[in-house]
Amino acid sequence: MTVARREKAIERALLVSALSAVSMLALIAAFILIEGAPVMLRHGISSFLAGTRWAPTKGSFGILPMIVASVVVTLGAMVIAVPLGLSCAVFLAEIAPRRAANFLRPAIQLLAGIPSVVYGFVGILFLVPLIRENLGGPGLSVLAAVVILGVMVLPTLIGIAEDAIEAVPRTYKEGALALGCTHAQAIRRVILPAARGGIIAAVILAMGRAVGETMAVIMVIGNAAIIPCSVLDPARTLTSNIALEMGYAAGDHQKALFATGVVLFAFIMVLNSIATMRIVRGRR
Amino acid sequence: MEEPTVEPKIAVRGLDLYYGRFHALKNIDLDVRPNTITAIIGPSGCGKSTLLRTFNRMNDLITGVRVDGSVRLDGQDIWTGSLTPVQLRRRVGMVFQRPNPFPLSVFDNVAFGPRAHGQRNRRVLEELVEESLRGARLWDEVRDRLNQPATELSLGAQQRLCVARLLAVRPDVILLDEPCSALDPVSTLAIESLMRELQDRYTIVIVTHNMQQAARASDESVYMLLGEIIEHGPTSQVFTNPKDSRTEQYITGRLG
Amino acid sequence: MSKGLGHSTRAVSASWLAAAIVVAMALAGCGGRGGRRALVLAGSTSVQPVAELIAEHYEVEHPHHSVNVQGGGSTAGVRAALEGAADIGMSSRALKPDEVGLEPIVVARDAVVLIVHPSNRTTDLTPEQVRAIYTGRITHWSDVTGPKWSSDDRRDDIITLVTREEGSGTRSAFEEGVMAKADITPRALVQDSTGTVRAIVASDPNAIGYISLGMVSSEVRALTYGGVQATEETVEEGTYALARPFLLLTRGAPSGEAGQFIRFALSDEGQQLVVRAGYLPVRRLDP
Ligand SMILES: Nc1ncnc2c1ncn2[C@@H]1O[C@H](COP(=O)(O)OP(=O)(O)OP(=O)(O)O)[C@@H](O)[C@H]1O
Ligand SMILES: [Mg+2]
Repeated sequence: MTVARREKAIERALLVSALSAVSMLALIAAFILIEGAPVMLRHGISSFLAGTRWAPTKGSFGILPMIVASVVVTLGAMVIAVPLGLSCAVFLAEIAPRRAANFLRPAIQLLAGIPSVVYGFVGILFLVPLIRENLGGPGLSVLAAVVILGVMVLPTLIGIAEDAIEAVPRTYKEGALALGCTHAQAIRRVILPAARGGIIAAVILAMGRAVGETMAVIMVIGNAAIIPCSVLDPARTLTSNIALEMGYAAGDHQKALFATGVVLFAFIMVLNSIATMRIVRGRR
Repeated sequence: MEEPTVEPKIAVRGLDLYYGRFHALKNIDLDVRPNTITAIIGPSGCGKSTLLRTFNRMNDLITGVRVDGSVRLDGQDIWTGSLTPVQLRRRVGMVFQRPNPFPLSVFDNVAFGPRAHGQRNRRVLEELVEESLRGARLWDEVRDRLNQPATELSLGAQQRLCVARLLAVRPDVILLDEPCSALDPVSTLAIESLMRELQDRYTIVIVTHNMQQAARASDESVYMLLGEIIEHGPTSQVFTNPKDSRTEQYITGRLG
Repeated sequence: MSKGLGHSTRAVSASWLAAAIVVAMALAGCGGRGGRRALVLAGSTSVQPVAELIAEHYEVEHPHHSVNVQGGGSTAGVRAALEGAADIGMSSRALKPDEVGLEPIVVARDAVVLIVHPSNRTTDLTPEQVRAIYTGRITHWSDVTGPKWSSDDRRDDIITLVTREEGSGTRSAFEEGVMAKADITPRALVQDSTGTVRAIVASDPNAIGYISLGMVSSEVRALTYGGVQATEETVEEGTYALARPFLLLTRGAPSGEAGQFIRFALSDEGQQLVVRAGYLPVRRLDP
């Protein structure tokens, strides 16, 4: 009797805390929307989303360059991170001797603990001059951001992809080997396809991380609010737009930054829902 | 046990196997005759699977495994001979305790081995798939479902699919490790009659806990205990007139 | 403001939590300090950091006084001082003719200086040249002062343009002083601090940027503007054009606590803080 009652109480407490977490999130979403939407509506959603001129103190609020930059930089980072991260995950899960893997795994996860300013700093000190001197342009560029983000998202990508690969039943691998496949064939033909759902989720979560990263990007991308024509051009992502100008922004300018946040929010929501769907489907 | 009149398909001599410091197989001598069904029986943990897995070197995948002695396939030593593990496994295929079809379509499961070994021609693959599915007595059941996920088949059909998958790489020897333990009696009988049909073209070694199955479906039986072979002979003799009292105890205990 | 805003939904929620806590603490803090009303400063965001620094030290020296420094912009500062919403208004521009009734006191001066890499051969730029460069009409150094090096590779010669973010006081000083309503080209690199502008110019031989005079260091070279070098003297005389005063504004002559604060800002200690914040003092300081 009392046990049952205590159980009920615990359940209720859990429900309350779950609800408060959810409502906190809803509040934030609502707040950003309320702050950001009016300015978007007033200047026209299309001229906000498709406008190419960002001069907020002069009444121009086009964020297309930032949308393009966020997409380009994120996809670019994936071009670097996916092959690298997947090979690394396969290596850790399938190839490395257990002792080596147990040493490497925390080392890689340590990368996730490095503050993003440090990534940005390393980018400014080494990567930017390297690009400027060897490839031309100002160095602060889409390319620099792509490389830095590509490295930054590796821990996310490797961690989830490795879990996905390790979750593949051993019997698949044994089945393939028993048919006379080499280890490499087993990985390519059975293990990776079987882990596909989890791997896609890993990639999408890494993309979310890349879209959302701010500090390191601000430091190396040059922040010019233009649509980049080459990877050596500077650009400005949605996040860097907000963080860069939030400090002194007031009035419509500030609201426009919130509106930028709304777009960013939508981006990340979409990415996360796709990832969640993938993970759920992968479990089944 | 009478002298084999034909060359053994698999000849095991003085085989010792260690998992780290654990002595799992002790001085095993065994001849597996071609085109026969050999059943390996014995209590849990006696080393049946371990022995079976040495025949296609699946134990090599486990770290800390050490082997002594020799295993020869058609007279060629599987470790010191020219066969690579990959070549060996194409000739000595294995079906596992739990059906383990890949998460692919029925067709792709059967075509998996040939594709991995370089067969790209769609027509050749289609023929091979049909032939293998027919060989595994599965064709009529799945001919309209070739593109469905293999995991949607019944367990019994999945296990026969695993046999078909194996047939498609055209092995000489088929190893089955308790292939029916996850199956219902009807599917079990289907596997047994399938084994009988395959016997003409393949050498079959089956590990089983089911004494009736061993008695029904095998030509020769091997009784193992604590890593050793206690008795090996024609199934009828091992079951009706065991030479070793330990074999008798086990069989009567299990049957009784 | 947190750089992490928009970093991720989680960071956003964290920063809002933090904001809520700060607000709660601020509310709880009301009526503290013995119930005394705080001295309120409001206005130019360029003056704000200097005023905050001075206020910090002022509060140490006068433990029973508390100072509250708010932003809002120069115009808002003028209005706040006029309407009495603030005890002291802050402005980073001279008062306009119609802004009467206020007592402006110059507590610091800010001069914006164009800086280039030390290896750059350019020494002077006219206002027209700066405008041409910053509107993006001139894109190569060779179009400014002839080839920068003996190399005739035009690609090596492209100007790396560095500017501050929209809303920055230094940017508005620069825009008001030079750009004459023209837009800075969006192709320019944008940095949100003097330090990073200086660092980029110091490391890129093709770069040009602008920072406050007080922040010029030897890693970069300051250009003369219209033939005038920016020094404390030329700024004070008004011959250096890219300069602006930092004003504290009171309604009528400063008195009471406001007067005390302004006296502190003009004291040796206050002026040293001005220098520390990267601006020019209005009184010569003893070394
Ligand atoms: N990877 C391994 N590492 C260490 N010991 C092992 C390993 N695999 C099996 N063993 C041990 O070797 C012995 C033989 O195992 P094996 O799997 O061959 O037995 P089995 O006869 O097939 O038993 P069962 O009927 O339960 O399948 C057992 O004692 C087992 O604990
Ligand atoms: Mg077993």
